[in-house]
Order: sequence, then C-alpha cells, then structure tokens
Amino acid sequence: MGRVWIWADVSAEDVATSALELLTKARALSDDVGAVALGPGAVASATALGDHGATLVYASDDERLIEPTSRVAAHTLAALVASHAPEVVLFPSSYRARDVAGRLQAITGSTLMANAVDLSSIDRARAEILGGTTIVEVALEGASPHIVMMRPRSFEPSPVGGTAEVVEVDVVAPHGLAAVRVLERTDAAASGPSLEGAKVVLAGGRGLGGPDGFGLLEDLAAAIGGTAIGASRAAVDAGWVPYAMQIGQTGSTVKPEVYLSAGVSGALQHAVGMKGSRRIVAITKDAEAPILRLADLGVVGDLFQVLPALTEEVRRRTGR
Amino acid sequence: MVAAAAALAWRRAAPRVATLRAARPDDPGRTGATAERAGRELTHVIGQRKLFQRFVPGLMHAAIFWGFVVLLPTIAEAAIAIVDPDGHLPLIGETTVFAWIVDVFGFAVLAGVTAAVVIRKVQRPDRFRGSHLGEADRILLMITAIVVSLLLWQATRIALGLTDAEGPVSGWLAGFADGLGAAALERAERALVWIHLLLVLGFLVYLPGSKHLHIVTAAPNVWLAKTWPGGRLEPLRIDLEGPEEDLRFGAAVATDLTRKQTLDLFSCTECGRCQDVCPAWATGKPLSPKLLIMGLRDHVVAASPAGVVELQPLVPNAVTDEVVWDCVTCGACVQECPVDIEHVDTIIDLRRHLVMAESRFPTEAGALLRGVEGAGENPWNQPASARMDWAAGLEVRVLAAGDRAPEVLFWVGCAGAFDERAREATRSTVRLLQAAGIDVAVLGQRESCTGDPARRMGHEFLFQTLAERNVSTLNEAGVTTIVASCAHCFNTLANEYPDYGGTYEVVHHSELLARLVREGRLHPSRESVAVTYHDACYLGRHNDKYDAPREVLGAVTGSLEEMPRNRERSFCCGAGGAKFWMEEGGDTRINDTRFAEAAATGADVVATACPFCLVMLDDASNAAGEGPEVVDVATLLARSALPTADGKR
Repeated sequence: MGRVWIWADVSAEDVATSALELLTKARALSDDVGAVALGPGAVASATALGDHGATLVYASDDERLIEPTSRVAAHTLAALVASHAPEVVLFPSSYRARDVAGRLQAITGSTLMANAVDLSSIDRARAEILGGTTIVEVALEGASPHIVMMRPRSFEPSPVGGTAEVVEVDVVAPHGLAAVRVLERTDAAASGPSLEGAKVVLAGGRGLGGPDGFGLLEDLAAAIGGTAIGASRAAVDAGWVPYAMQIGQTGSTVKPEVYLSAGVSGALQHAVGMKGSRRIVAITKDAEAPILRLADLGVVGDLFQVLPALTEEVRRRTGR
Repeated sequence: MVAAAAALAWRRAAPRVATLRAARPDDPGRTGATAERAGRELTHVIGQRKLFQRFVPGLMHAAIFWGFVVLLPTIAEAAIAIVDPDGHLPLIGETTVFAWIVDVFGFAVLAGVTAAVVIRKVQRPDRFRGSHLGEADRILLMITAIVVSLLLWQATRIALGLTDAEGPVSGWLAGFADGLGAAALERAERALVWIHLLLVLGFLVYLPGSKHLHIVTAAPNVWLAKTWPGGRLEPLRIDLEGPEEDLRFGAAVATDLTRKQTLDLFSCTECGRCQDVCPAWATGKPLSPKLLIMGLRDHVVAASPAGVVELQPLVPNAVTDEVVWDCVTCGACVQECPVDIEHVDTIIDLRRHLVMAESRFPTEAGALLRGVEGAGENPWNQPASARMDWAAGLEVRVLAAGDRAPEVLFWVGCAGAFDERAREATRSTVRLLQAAGIDVAVLGQRESCTGDPARRMGHEFLFQTLAERNVSTLNEAGVTTIVASCAHCFNTLANEYPDYGGTYEVVHHSELLARLVREGRLHPSRESVAVTYHDACYLGRHNDKYDAPREVLGAVTGSLEEMPRNRERSFCCGAGGAKFWMEEGGDTRINDTRFAEAAATGADVVATACPFCLVMLDDASNAAGEGPEVVDVATLLARSALPTADGKR
C-alpha cells in the first residue's frame, strides 16, 4: 500500500469541497494519506482536511503560491514530491488544479490521467468515454507519482474526526516569474437570476404569442420563487425577449431540477440546451410537438388557460 | 515620349507586381486544364458572358470593351502619323472597311459611355454604394475624350485628303471641317493627333493605380479561376513537420493571400453586382463582398512589400470580424462577378486563421465545434446511439463492418438523422428507394459529420480528421455509390473527399429519385398543388444541379411556380457557411426574406432539397404564421407515389 496525496484547492475563506471528496477515495486506497495545500488559507484548512482523513498536511500561506501561472505552486509541489515520493497524487478538475497537475507532470516526467471518475487501485483508474456510454479501466504506468485528475463529485465527502499534523512548506520560486503580472481582477457582472444556475427554469416560445405572453411566465416565476426565465430562439428572433434569455444550441445550456416550457415546440436547436434537465414539463397545444417526447409531463392544451391556473395553484400552496 | 509614359506607368504598376510576386503561390490545381481555361477566356472575356447576366449594363460594357479591343490598332496609326502625317498602318490603314469599323466601334463606345452615365447618374442603382464614383467619372471622361479626339482627327485627315478611307461618322464630321482654311485644318490635324496620343498615354499612366486596372488583370484572373465545382475548397496543406515560420493556418496578413486571391483584389472594378445579390448585405449586415474586396485591396496596397516593415493582421484592419462571420458561403457573389473573383474562398481563408490560430469566432459557434469533435460527432452533440432513431418502424439495413456492400449507400447526414423535421425527408427517401427495389443500406453509428460545417467555419484540421476517417470507413465497406439528401454532405462527399482518397459516384437524392420516376420504378400521381422550388446553394450554384429536383416536382404537380430568384441566381436560406449554428445580426433574417419571396408566388408548398433549407424556411414559415408549407422533394414524392401504410401522408 503506497503513499497517496491529494491536492487541496484552498482560499483565504475555506477549503474546496473537492479536496474532501478526494480524501474519501485516498483513505480507501491507503493508510498513508497526505494533503498538499498551497496559498493563503492553507494552514487553516488543515483542520477540515484532518477531519476528513488526512494525516499530514503540507501547507504554506505564502502569497507567491497563487501567482497566475501556477508555476510557483507546481515547483513547490514538485520539490515535496521529490523528497517524499508519494505513489499517487489526486487532483480535482478546477482550472488551478489543471495548471498545477500539468506542470507537475512536465517536471516529473510521470503519468497524468485526466477526467477519471474512480480508482480501483493505486495503478488503475476508471474513465467514461464515448459520451458516458462506455467505462474503461486504464492502467497507470511509468514513473511515479501517478497524477490523476478526478471529475467533480466522483466521491462523497465523509468526516472521520481525525487531526492532521501540519508541515510548513518551503516555497520554491523558479526564475522568470516577472513575465506575467496581474494588473486587475474583474468579476463578470451577473444581471438578474442566472439561467445556468437556476433550480427552476421556465421557458417561453412562439406559442406565447408576443412579449406580453412572458408576463404569464413572470407571474408563475414569482409564485415559485428562485426561478429564471428563458426562451426559445423563435421568441428571441421575434424580438419579444433579449438574446440573453435564449436557451439552446446558440444560447445557454440549462440543467435545472425542473424545466417548464410554455408554447415551445422543442426543435433540435432548443432541445440541445435543455434536455439535461432533471424534470421536464411541457405545455403546448400541438400534440405532435417534439418537446413532448422529451417531457416527463406533457400538457396538451391552451397555455393561456393552463398557466394562470397553475400559477393560482402554486400561489395557494406557497402563499406567495 | 512613349518611353517616358511607359516608365511612369511602370512606376505605378511596380508595387502591384511586387505584391503579386510576394504572394503565396497558388495551389498546383490552378494550372492545367488549358483548353477549359482558354474556352473561358472566349466566353467570359471576349463573350462578356457574365456581364450579360444583366442585359443593359452588359450591353453597355460590351460596347465599350469591344470598341476598346477593335480600336487598339488606331493607337499605332496615331503614333505613325505623329512622325509622318502621311503615314498609315500597313495593309489596313487606308481601307474603307477599317475606317467604317473604327467609326462604328467608336460610336458604340460613345453610346456605351452614354448608357453608363445614365445608369450612374440617373438610375443610380444601390450596388454602387461604397464604390469610388468620382474615379469612375474620370475614367468615363477619359474614354470619351480619347474616342472623340480620334474621330475628330480622322475627320481632319479626310478633309485634308490625307486618307481616302471615309467612315460614316468621320466623313460626316469632315463635311464641317471643309469650311476651315487649309492652314487651320493642318494645325487642327496636328493638334488633334497629339491630343489623342497624349490622352492615350495619360490613360496608360493612370491605369495601374486605379480600379480600371481590370483591363489588364481580368483576363489572367479569369484564367486562374476554378475549373472545379464552386463547392470544393482547396485543401489547406497543414505541414506540421516543416519549419515553424512556414506554418500557415489560413490568411493572417497580406502576404498569406495566394497569388489568385491577390489578383482578385486588383481585378475588382467596384461594380457592386456581388453586393446586389449578397444575402448578408440584403438583410442589413455589414458584409458586402465588394467592400470586403476593396478593404482587402486597400490594405494590401498599403502593405506593399516595398513600404511596410511589420504586417498588420487582415482582421480587423482590412475587414472586421463581423464581416468575416456574416458570410453564408452561398456563392452568389462569385456567380455574379464578371471577372471571376472568388470571395468565398478568401473569406474561408480568413476564418481558418481566426479559428485555428486565434480561436476567435462567435461564441455560440463553439457548441457546433464541440459537438462535431465530441463523441457523437455531430453539430448538436447528440449521442451516436440516437443516430438511427429516425428509422423506428422501418426496416433499414445498417452496414456492419465486413458486410456485403450495398448497391447504394444512403448517407443520412446529421440533420437527417437528428432533426425532427429533416427526419421526415430521410424516412421518405428510404421508403422510396426501397419501393423502387434499390438495394440500399446506411452506415448507422459508423457515420459521422462529413466535416462541412467545421470546414466552412475555418476549422480545417477538424474537417480533415473527419474526412480521413469517413473515407476510411467508406473504403473499407467497399462503397461505390452514395446517395445524400443533404446538399452540404453531397457537396463534401462528391467534391472534397476525393482530395482525401475517397472517390465514389455521389448522387443527390433528387437525382436518384428523378431517375427512378423516369425509369418507371416509382409511380407518382400528379396532384393539383401549387409548388415553388427553392434551390439549395450547395446543390445548385455550387454544383450546377437545377433540373433533377424540378423533374421530381414535375411528376407530382402540374403547377410549378418559379420564384423571381431561381437556379443560379437563387437566394440563400441563410444556413450555409456554418451560419446555421450562429446567431444572425442585421435588420432582418435571411430565411424570412426568402420565405416571403416564396410565399409571394402564391404556392401552397415550398419544396426544398436540403435539410438545412427545410429547417430554415420552416422556421420562417412558423414565424410568419401563414403562407406555404415547407416540404422536402422526397416527402412530396412519397406522399404521391407511396401507399400511406405508416399512416403519414
């Protein structure tokens, strides 16, 4: 049974859930589990990491570790790997983890397996290919450590109530770092409820008959709460609602818990943007509409009667 | 003096010549086919064929052009007369026939110039918007002055008895000259011959820096034009093994343009015929093929090798990103261009660089590339396992590896396999082929995107990967004949796969169905439904197939109404050039414009022969809420020729 490490994404506020997920798997693979946390917040993260099964946490709060190219972090980690020789290093699939993992592989000349969903042993990873239709088992060969990047939510975090010993890390800064400087950070401004993050999405199509028809969806959205409103391309092209609301091939892709459409035919252009929704409800007057083939619940009827009645019923139950 | 003029003209021409020399060499395919190229010089240049696509402006131009050609010897005649007032061209100089020819064609030029002035000043067609109108006026003025001075000079010569050869115009003018005294007449004769020759030489000097350079560049440009279907793009030869500085992913800077592409720029006369037929321009988008060529020309001239040290990127300096992405690659501009400029191929080369070197394209098109690259290998990222869903309830032979090759392989295409509306045409096609006793099979999950949308978007690398794999699948299966119901798949399979080792007999479903009807293997009954047919660009203009779909329609209806824009002048549905997977800017949508044209014929049905036309026009039909039904030719034929066994009719 070899030594298994996990990479923990940390920030000044907290440690990423992905690190706790990876620890679940690491414990199953080995008793010798270490975590590497580099950057502000690293030392403080040791509590959570220990609680989830790390026995050692290599940590440094040094600011230089979060420079934008991840070179400092990668070289620091490579030095740790050289002196402690873990057999496997598990990474999450965050942008930062990808940067560090890629560089670590280049420095160590070892093997990197990306997009894995499981490990059956320290030298065997599993991945889904061909659009998730086939699972392959991949033998990890070549020099140690084997670097494996796991897909998000591949494992459940489970606390074991342990405590980790914190090992302070010496930062290794390679030459030529001045090449990249961060001048400014700007957060992309989000306006209104985000279509892509919403738990419930209501979508309107040509069947709504005009911009006023979207008022019916707004009423329903207000009654449900926490709901975003989208549209088919037909409604956007007609100029009823802005392009930002478009769902489909050339618009947003949504995967809410519940997707409800009114007056949407479900042409391929639209369907590709919503078929991953968990529950699909469609209201349409066309019994042949393709969307009914995707729907868990299809209502064939006049949306101008169905929507107000539905809103009324939701209001009665939620009291909004 | 002649030498001085020639030297001046050369000084003005030298930067152009240097630019052409510095341009990337043309693909080897641009040489050879000498007979075909020579024939095209006769039809397109001498015969002015493409100019006559618009009769009156065509006649106007032909009068000036033919006049120009015929009057060329008079330059020599004038040069001789400068030295020796009694001198003449040997053989023809003193013949009445020549005098008549000069007069008639001189008059024709003046009539042509008059027509040009009426078109430009009175009629003022919109196609000239953005052209250099002042420059055109100067050129027309010079032509007039040259011809008028020629005729007046001839008149004075007749009056002085320097020649016996009289033409109708010069003879008539000579009557007026008789009133002048002999001395005055002699002075006038000398003055006129000098004025005439100086004007000619001035014109020669003016020419190289002007848009009128086409009188030199048009003939070679026509010579170098494609000798293959317009739908075939030249393969981008990606040599990853060669030196890095030679690696080119399309056209980034002026010197990345090929010699033909550069000559295109120097051949443009800004006549705007392309602009007039461009679907993007017609619907209020920034792209005009004319302004694109002018923008590139001005940039290339400014970046001429003598001057600039560091070359600026073509996009967005010569043309903007928006312009590059507005193009539907319909080829209407190429069809229209009198001097055979190939706008579409240049646009694709600009896209190639943007996509492959800079990953710069409209965001929403990313889903298309991800889908084609992804496991399902289709633009909508549908699972491969759904590729045969269309065949539910039908018995269709799916060709497994090692199976006996079918008589005809039906290439379903991604739209035909996944889009609900296109599936109906797919089902109709298979049912018709089976009813006619054709041994037909499909590749099923082994089929993938042909790569057409990736290629038209500029992702040549992805296209080539798909092409090589599909070719290997088809070759291993021993396929010899392919039928495709998608105009884009048809074009790629027929014209582009041979470059990757896949040579098959490829027919479009409308061709095969027309043949089966003709051979009596299908028995449609004519119904009284009014139909109009929308030509798909990649079937019609890019592949010259106009008659087969009309033949099929002729078998199902007695009432086929043509739209005003049909056959090679057809107007795109808006889907080509991967625009199907992009958002459309501008004032109006291309599909709405085309659907309105179809509806105006009063037809009950708009027949299409490509799934993308079908979906685009059906979307427009839904948006309009009224007007004709949009149906594929195969579905129309199936309704008329097949029993309604599956309940769908």
